Amino acid sequence: MSAAPSADFLAALHEYQPLVRRVCRLYCQDADDRQDLFQEIVLQLWRAWPRYVPQPDAKLSTWLYRIALNVAISNLRQRTRRPASVGLEDEAARYLAQSTENSAYEPEETAALYAAINRLSDVDKAFVLLYLEDRPYDEMADILGITQNNVRVKMHRVQEKLRKQLVHK
Amino acid sequence: MELDDLRRQWQQPEPAATPALTPTQLDALRKGHTTGLVARMRRNARLEAGFNGLIGLGCLAVLPYAHDNLLRAYAGLTLVLVIILVVFYYRVLGVLGRMAEPTGSVRGHLGTLAQGLRQLLRFYYRLTLASGPATMLVVWGVMLGRMAARGQFKHWQMSVFIGVLVLLMAALTQWLVVKFARWYVQRLYGRHLDRLESQLRELNEPAM
Repeated sequence: MSAAPSADFLAALHEYQPLVRRVCRLYCQDADDRQDLFQEIVLQLWRAWPRYVPQPDAKLSTWLYRIALNVAISNLRQRTRRPASVGLEDEAARYLAQSTENSAYEPEETAALYAAINRLSDVDKAFVLLYLEDRPYDEMADILGITQNNVRVKMHRVQEKLRKQLVHK
Repeated sequence: MELDDLRRQWQQPEPAATPALTPTQLDALRKGHTTGLVARMRRNARLEAGFNGLIGLGCLAVLPYAHDNLLRAYAGLTLVLVIILVVFYYRVLGVLGRMAEPTGSVRGHLGTLAQGLRQLLRFYYRLTLASGPATMLVVWGVMLGRMAARGQFKHWQMSVFIGVLVLLMAALTQWLVVKFARWYVQRLYGRHLDRLESQLRELNEPAM
């Protein structure tokens, strides 16, 4: 890895940092874990950057999502072990209290949905993330390495799981 | 509330947006240790390979000056073990290098990680199987050689007794070492492998 980051990497990182932050937000509830994951993703992006070849039919965001999700899902990190079920709703509510002033929904509803998302598996969370990020099915398929048809079916199943969780809450 | 409703809020910038990383912060990040297990395994494998290299150099340094045949045999056998270990670490680092590349699709990356971990588990297990007898050969060989040199095997009954005892001890040690290695490697990497395989199954599941 080169000693200093190139200007184009810094520019790309500046542009896409919110994307990386959103991935961390979805996968980690604890602020320290989120920061650890953010650093790990940025480090992997920096290492991979020299091998990134821009192609007319491939978006930079697709490449970034792949790396960010690979780091978040494979999760072969030494995380501090914390009880997974503690504070999920609190964390979601805390975040939402800052960001839902103009929302048509009650913060509790949003917090419940966040909590339901947090109970999904890491793979299911990837579908949710890409859906929330408004990625088209062909790009989702490209990022995840499965067919578009499979993406549609699994997306539908994930939505069903969330509905069931919210009903049974 | 459904995902579609959440999507409208999701991409709004965070209220307390974190400022962009500066080159200085990035440099500090690069110098800091990565928290990734693969990176840690690579660091450890490099350190162990380096340590083995040093032992090998030590053996090479001892060999020309060793007048004692047993010491020479000991250094020679250790050197052979070191060479085997260097080949082992070369292969381990190759596998870890492939595992450290996260640019492929999620399914592809998970597949590479699972395959890599399976290979590493096999490597470690085979190394334990092979190095157990080799180590015992070195240790017991030196000990028995010294006893023979001191003329402690004058009676054939004594020689047979010691031979059987050595074989039993060797078999027991090997059995314990293999049991421990299997448990230890499974404890270290088994749960990661289980999780990766379960994630792969989630993605591989045929769309019905």
